[in-house]
Amino acid sequence: MRFLVALSHWLGQTHLGVFIRDSSYAFAAIEMLHLLALAIFGGSIILVDLRFLNLGFKTQTAPAVARELLPLTIGGVIAMAISGVLMYAGGPMRYFNNPAFQLKMVLFVIALAIHFPLQMIAARSLEVAPGRQRLFQAAAVASLLLWFAIGFSGRVIGYL
Amino acid sequence: MPTLQHICEWIYTTHLSTSIRQSPYSFPAIETIHTLGIAAVVGTIAILDLRLLGLIMKKEPVSRIARQLLPWTWAGFAVMFVTGLLLWIAESQTSYSNWAFRAKMVLLLLVGINPLIFHLTIYREVNTWDLANVTPRRARFAAVSSLVLWASIIVFGRLIAYVNT
Repeated sequence: MRFLVALSHWLGQTHLGVFIRDSSYAFAAIEMLHLLALAIFGGSIILVDLRFLNLGFKTQTAPAVARELLPLTIGGVIAMAISGVLMYAGGPMRYFNNPAFQLKMVLFVIALAIHFPLQMIAARSLEVAPGRQRLFQAAAVASLLLWFAIGFSGRVIGYL
Repeated sequence: MPTLQHICEWIYTTHLSTSIRQSPYSFPAIETIHTLGIAAVVGTIAILDLRLLGLIMKKEPVSRIARQLLPWTWAGFAVMFVTGLLLWIAESQTSYSNWAFRAKMVLLLLVGINPLIFHLTIYREVNTWDLANVTPRRARFAAVSSLVLWASIIVFGRLIAYVNT
């Protein structure tokens, strides 16, 4: 915890952090990039999970969909993380103690740990083994719920 | 007073409009669902656009990707439209004079015309280029316009709230 506080203080005092805090437009611009990344990221996450649940993209195998959309989900999450860190840098302590922000970060770590191993394991295989289908479906449901909850808690940050 | 402005002001006084405004939770909750609906719409459309540009799913026929994505694009669109309508009902009076809102409505019109032209022209001959890695120039043009227009819609959509305050 103390490390995180120190890191946040440092981040807020960097040139970038000070610039984002003092500029009238930087935050809005970064927030828009965050939303643009969300559109690509959210759409591809939904499709990967729906494929695991046999609800969409059925002309291709689940591993093929997982593989083809991996650049979009990984690129999307990196773009969202970078823009997210930049927004955070503009006022770290405002977010650090914000319960919605704290919840979002916890859910984000859990979602990362569930979704990406799932998608990467699937992407490397030729087909999902029949015995593992249930596991993949459960993980896909968890992934969908978690990402939705992350979206909601993200919006709540601005209201607390 | 212009008729449209008159209608907007009347909608602003309706029970639905005031109840969304008066609840501390309604507006942000609807707004979040609206944003997630946009992610579904724009995300699925972007995947088709990226295929048209030959960047992903190159081995899959374009028409098959389009057919698989369309139900989810429409599902997302329904969510986006209903929640968007509710947000507008709550803010109809301020939206009317909001330049970001006006720009967004024009862009939405354009982004609707784009697939219309695409489907009536180059997509009619999709069987001749369904498997092509790089699709015809007009298909790629439609893909780029779609990506640019949707990105602008997201930007202007977010601007609405910044302009309002």
